[in-house]
Amino acid sequence: MILDIDFSSPNNLLVLIIFMILILASSVFFIWKRIQPNALVDQMIKTTQSWWVMCFVFLFAILSNTVITILAIALLSFVALRELVSALNINIDYRSSVFLCYLSIFFQYFFIYKGWFIEAIIFLPLFILVILPCSMIISTCRKGFLRSYSFLSISVILAVYSISHLAFLITFIHLDNLSSKSLLLFLIFLTQINDIMQFIFGKIFGRNKILPYVSPNKTWEGFLGGLLSTTIIGCLIGFLTPFNYYELIVVSTIIAVLGFLGDSFLSAIKRDVGVKDLGVSISGHGGFFDRIDSLVIISAPFFYIFYFLLEL
Amino acid sequence: MKKIVLIFFYSLFWRNFLKLIIGLNYINREILFKSKQFILIANHNSHMDTMAIMSSIPIKNISKTHPMAALDFFGGNKIKKFLMRNLINATLIDRNPELQKEKPIQIMDDILKKGRSLLLYPEGSRGISHNISNFKNGLAILIQNNPNIDVIPVYLKDIHKTLPKGSKLIVPFKCKIIFGQPIQFDSYDLNDILVKSQCSLIELKENY
Repeated sequence: MILDIDFSSPNNLLVLIIFMILILASSVFFIWKRIQPNALVDQMIKTTQSWWVMCFVFLFAILSNTVITILAIALLSFVALRELVSALNINIDYRSSVFLCYLSIFFQYFFIYKGWFIEAIIFLPLFILVILPCSMIISTCRKGFLRSYSFLSISVILAVYSISHLAFLITFIHLDNLSSKSLLLFLIFLTQINDIMQFIFGKIFGRNKILPYVSPNKTWEGFLGGLLSTTIIGCLIGFLTPFNYYELIVVSTIIAVLGFLGDSFLSAIKRDVGVKDLGVSISGHGGFFDRIDSLVIISAPFFYIFYFLLEL
Repeated sequence: MKKIVLIFFYSLFWRNFLKLIIGLNYINREILFKSKQFILIANHNSHMDTMAIMSSIPIKNISKTHPMAALDFFGGNKIKKFLMRNLINATLIDRNPELQKEKPIQIMDDILKKGRSLLLYPEGSRGISHNISNFKNGLAILIQNNPNIDVIPVYLKDIHKTLPKGSKLIVPFKCKIIFGQPIQFDSYDLNDILVKSQCSLIELKENY
């Protein structure tokens, strides 16, 4: 059976919460549009519609069996890598190296699927250190080596190394009385909530810019509001994790701060390249990587927090 | 039968492959649905160009649209010739004037007179990327003879990255195919037609 539905389990409780939030958001915007139609509401309605689709796809991918989940995360890596490689304007004489980067996705997720922990951990650093430069050296191109090498390695680190740690959570962490997917749901739900809360608080109270040179839309009010509400929500959905309340507060705060920094990290890259979004795939959100940009920094630390806590 | 093969090959296989794996983004594709018969003019940098354009053509027109291909390059042996005619739906043209039974212009004109559509690369061979070189005269003669047929400019952005000239490895890069509105010609002087059609392609390039 693909879906196993049991409404007493924590995962399904979260699914219920997600759909309640979506219904709430949709009805709020519907009423708002009736009372006071303007461009912002139209934009919000479009964004919410995309959220509905994304939530269905995401929840199906996560709650199906493990193979489908790993495949879905691999696909996410692929799309994210494609968006990055296309935006970073890599010299096309190095296309065979770009092809190897795409191929590395396959190997990385194959190791994860097989449950080979050491291989999965060392593969990408070794790939960037050995295979990537070697393949670039033997290609006939002589121009822009360092530029293309750094662009390719950063693309692999962000799109494959970072995102594959989401799949690490499923395969390499085994909790006693929780499904291994609860942690993944917890992480993704919390980073996305953090994004939304930062946006809402920034729109309502935003005055003082926090990072004027990287991302002019981000404000101190948005950041602090997001931090506070993420911590509270993190404690409320703590049933997905084996933590007690103190640990939950610490972990939620780390997720909020690193989520914010990850978002800004990608903004800085995009600003340097001179694009606003990396794609147009999701209506109202930009590309796939624009949606999951807050995960790029947090995913690996989050995994290692668990890994070492459970080892102790 | 040929139509089914073409629909399967282009509309199912290539369209999904280009969309999902390569990351091709079709822009203003609805323009193609509005005209029954058309001449598509596009910039040419890669073999992928024909696949991208043919995969965007509506199902009802797909068997009636013919890309032009050079006989010496694509028609090397009988199998290649058969595949080009039946799978790609191409019309092969001999570039060597001594061996031609019929002039290429005449062949294309006949196709248009039968109510079929053409896909042309007026730059001639695969050109340099980011650069639209001068159009060949044949296009102007063709348009002059068939003034009622819509001429639709198509600009292919970054598709050469996925499969450049001289390479056999397909690497996914995000790319765009942009369709422009049918060109309105003010005068049917040969030179005016060339300038106007080249300008409309450059305009597409600059707007996206």
